[in-house]
Amino acid sequence: MSTETPERGRSARERAVGAFTSRASKLGITAGPALIWLFLLLLAPLTFMVAVSFTNVNTLTYEIIWEPTMENYGQLFAGEGPFWQTAFFQSLTLSYFIAAVTTVLCLVLAFPLAYLLARRGGTTFKVVIFLVLLPFFTMYLVRAYSWYLMFGPSGVINSTLIRIGIIDGPLGLFNYGVPAIIVGLTHAYFPYMLLSLYASLDGLDFSLTEAARDLGASRIETLKDVILPLVLPGIISGSLFVFVPALGAFITPQFLGQGKVLMIGQLIEERINSLYAIGYGSAASMFIVLSIVIAFALAFRYVSIEDLGGV
Amino acid sequence: MATETDAGTETDRPAGTDTGAGTRILDHERKEWLLGRGLYVVAGALLVFLWIPLAVMIILSFAVNASTFFPFRGFTLAHYGATFADAALMGSLWNSVQIATLAASIATVLGVLASFALARYAFPLKETYRTFGILPMVIPGVVLGIALLIYFRTLLPQLFGIVIVPGFWTVVLTHSVYGFPFVLLLVTSRLYTFDESLEEAARDLGADPLTVFRDITLPIVAPAIGAGFLFAWIRSFEDFIRAFFVRGTMDVLTTSMFSMIKYGTAPKMNAISSFIVLVIAVVLAVAMNVGNVTGMVAGTEGEE
Repeated sequence: MSTETPERGRSARERAVGAFTSRASKLGITAGPALIWLFLLLLAPLTFMVAVSFTNVNTLTYEIIWEPTMENYGQLFAGEGPFWQTAFFQSLTLSYFIAAVTTVLCLVLAFPLAYLLARRGGTTFKVVIFLVLLPFFTMYLVRAYSWYLMFGPSGVINSTLIRIGIIDGPLGLFNYGVPAIIVGLTHAYFPYMLLSLYASLDGLDFSLTEAARDLGASRIETLKDVILPLVLPGIISGSLFVFVPALGAFITPQFLGQGKVLMIGQLIEERINSLYAIGYGSAASMFIVLSIVIAFALAFRYVSIEDLGGV
Repeated sequence: MATETDAGTETDRPAGTDTGAGTRILDHERKEWLLGRGLYVVAGALLVFLWIPLAVMIILSFAVNASTFFPFRGFTLAHYGATFADAALMGSLWNSVQIATLAASIATVLGVLASFALARYAFPLKETYRTFGILPMVIPGVVLGIALLIYFRTLLPQLFGIVIVPGFWTVVLTHSVYGFPFVLLLVTSRLYTFDESLEEAARDLGADPLTVFRDITLPIVAPAIGAGFLFAWIRSFEDFIRAFFVRGTMDVLTTSMFSMIKYGTAPKMNAISSFIVLVIAVVLAVAMNVGNVTGMVAGTEGEE
């Protein structure tokens, strides 16, 4: 570093030591506080959580009995019937399904809009981006709640359709349940996908697509062979930012499922809050963490950590 | 909406005429036009999808019957009155504001310092440090919330004898960790595009390091720091699940709202939610005219 003003009259060794300690102290001052903070409030709790998933809790005093056991993991997959009938396994697979459908829906819906934003500037861009960002910055809880009003047997959609005379009674499709949850989650995480795709498309050189078209490629071929490979990092990071939070979602399934659907986040919350079953909750959390580690490991084959920045 | 205004100007396009060689070109033009038009239609439909539930909620916040349109019984401002007179709700709103401000301040200080370390120095395990710093943003709220709940309630007292009663400060600590990555990402990306020769020039001209920092570095990095603070603030303000686990018996706005939905008090929920949408709209409109919000959010900042 060249930040030091050279001090004359000191030996080369002294200067070297001075520079080293000063550089080390600078590094310590800049990197240190966050390191301590992250160690105390992130690494330590998460490490302990892994440990807790292998212990039992005294049901009277809620104190942890520090003896290694696999009981919590056994409980996740043990029940009346085979393991695929346990509440945990069913809510885990349901969560995967819902998160995957949400991700695909977000991708399909966001792509045309992101393309439009990348190709158009000026007022159109400003107005559209404002209209997209406002729901994005609006509280997540408020957006889940706004769909809660729309769905349901006597919700806005059903009552309006009945009023207009299109249907006679409330439709199951617009009742609470899996479709409602998927709509709610798509609405909640759509902007993440849009912004990731937009960031990718905005950096794209569109003369490449023109060149492809001039050389005789069809529109579909251009999309498949030119645009998609170039915006792949955006697609992957957008998908991660939709899939990961959707997998651990809690509020949306709570309100838009109305007890008919149990996603993994709800299952864990229920066990922790009603029974303080921290061993069970920790063990179940490990499966969310593991899924996410795998998702990221797969994604990092195509993108770097820098590509994930921004959103 | 932008889509509607554009639609009218395009209607006077000629339909395909069959004059030999011209047909293909006209067909091609027509196809382009239809595609372009289709894009606008899709975009318009998406904006409707994004907006319709919020619009319905805002309308219902003024309606006498607060949960659905029919039978319609007229408009009223009574729900707003009742909402702002609700001392418990306003108390939890104030808690949220305080927590968000404190947590975002901590996150900003830590994040700015760490960004300088990442952007300016080479050190062992730098990539690990960076990944570790982004982690709080990626870990699902349920997992982070439970991990910290167990940590505060069971592990610290049982293993180390440290008693921190879950409440205001535990939420502040939790949110300060949660907000950290947002500051880190925004400030580091700004620092990477920063032309360090500006600092060297200032130093060559005789400025001491502190002056350089105050007059050169800070003004250039300030927008990113501001955006990072704002992001961390909003994340804390709107977070439910992490606060839900570590709050103890204290209520923040989101947990109050959660129980309002759960126990069915729609009128106040509509009113407070609509009010928040309005506040955010104003803040966002101002921010968009002051700084490059899109660039900050989409990570394309610096490519302009």
